Amino acid sequence: MAAHADTSHGGRLYWGTWLTLLALTLVMIVLDGLSMPRSIFLSVVLSAMLVKATLIGAHFMHLRFERLSLAAMVVVGLLVTGLVLFVLIVPDAIRIRAMVP
Amino acid sequence: MAVAAQQAGERWHGGTCPFDLGWRKLMMWIFIITDGLLFVGFLGGYGYARTMSRQWPDQSSVFNLQYIAVMTFVLISSSLTMANAVEAAKRAPRSAALRWLLLTVAGGLGFLGMQAYEWAHMIGEGARLNGNPWGDPLFTSYFFLLTGFHGTHVLLGGIILATTTIRWAKGLASREGVELAGLYWHFVDLVWVFLFTLFYLV
Repeated sequence: MAAHADTSHGGRLYWGTWLTLLALTLVMIVLDGLSMPRSIFLSVVLSAMLVKATLIGAHFMHLRFERLSLAAMVVVGLLVTGLVLFVLIVPDAIRIRAMVP
Repeated sequence: MAVAAQQAGERWHGGTCPFDLGWRKLMMWIFIITDGLLFVGFLGGYGYARTMSRQWPDQSSVFNLQYIAVMTFVLISSSLTMANAVEAAKRAPRSAALRWLLLTVAGGLGFLGMQAYEWAHMIGEGARLNGNPWGDPLFTSYFFLLTGFHGTHVLLGGIILATTTIRWAKGLASREGVELAGLYWHFVDLVWVFLFTLFYLV
C-alpha cells in the first residue's frame, strides 16, 4: 500500500506479471503429465493457482496499490466464504460417498 | 445530547473515505465481490459433486489440455493488454490506449471462439447437460454450467470493452471508464485461473 492507484506502475510490472503467470501455467501443465504422488501434485498446483490469483489481483487489478481496507474487503470476503463452504461441504460429501453402495 | 451530536459528526458521510475511491470504482469493486461470491458458490457445488462422486472422469482423457493451455494463454495475454490500456489511458496519447484496447477485444473474441469450438467438440463427443459417455453425468453438467457462466462473463466483458473502445476512439470515454472496464476484464481472467485449475487440471 505504498502508493495510490493513480501512480504509474509501468509496463515492466505488467510484463513481469504476465511472464510469471505463463510460467506457472506451463509448470502446472507439465506436472499434470508427470507421474507423482497425488498429494504433492495437489499441493503444488493449488499453490500455483493461489499465486496466480494473487498476482492478477495485486498487479493487474492494482489491489496492491489501493488502500488496505479495500484489499481486505475483497480478499477476506471471498476467501472466508470459500473456506466456510469447503469446511461445510467436504466432510458431508465424503460421508455421502461412503453411504452410496 | 452533546455526545450524540459528536458521534453523528464522526460518522462517514460519503466522499472518498475509507477506501479512497470514487463511487464508480467502489461500486465496481462491490459488484466484483458479489459476482466472485457467485463463482465461489458454483465451485463449492462442483466440489461437493466431485467429492461424493465415484465415477468422476479423468479430465486428461476427456480434454485436450494443450488446447486449454492456449485458451489460458490468450486470456492471460488479454489481461496484459488491458492493463497496458489502462496505463496508456492515464498517461499516453489516446491512440496508444486505443491500440491496447483493440488487442484486448481481439483476445476476448479469440477466447470465445476457442471456447465455442471446445463446446462443439464436446457436444459432438456426446457431452450433454444431463449425461456423458465418460462417467458421472454431473461432470458435464458442471462443465457446461461453469464454463458457460464464465463464457457469458467473457461475452459481456467483450461487449463492454468494444463499447469502451468505440467511445474512447470518439473521445467520449473517460480514463476511469477504461479502468473500470479493465477491472471487470481482469476479474474474468481471475475466475478462469480457478476454473482452469479446479476443473480441468485437478
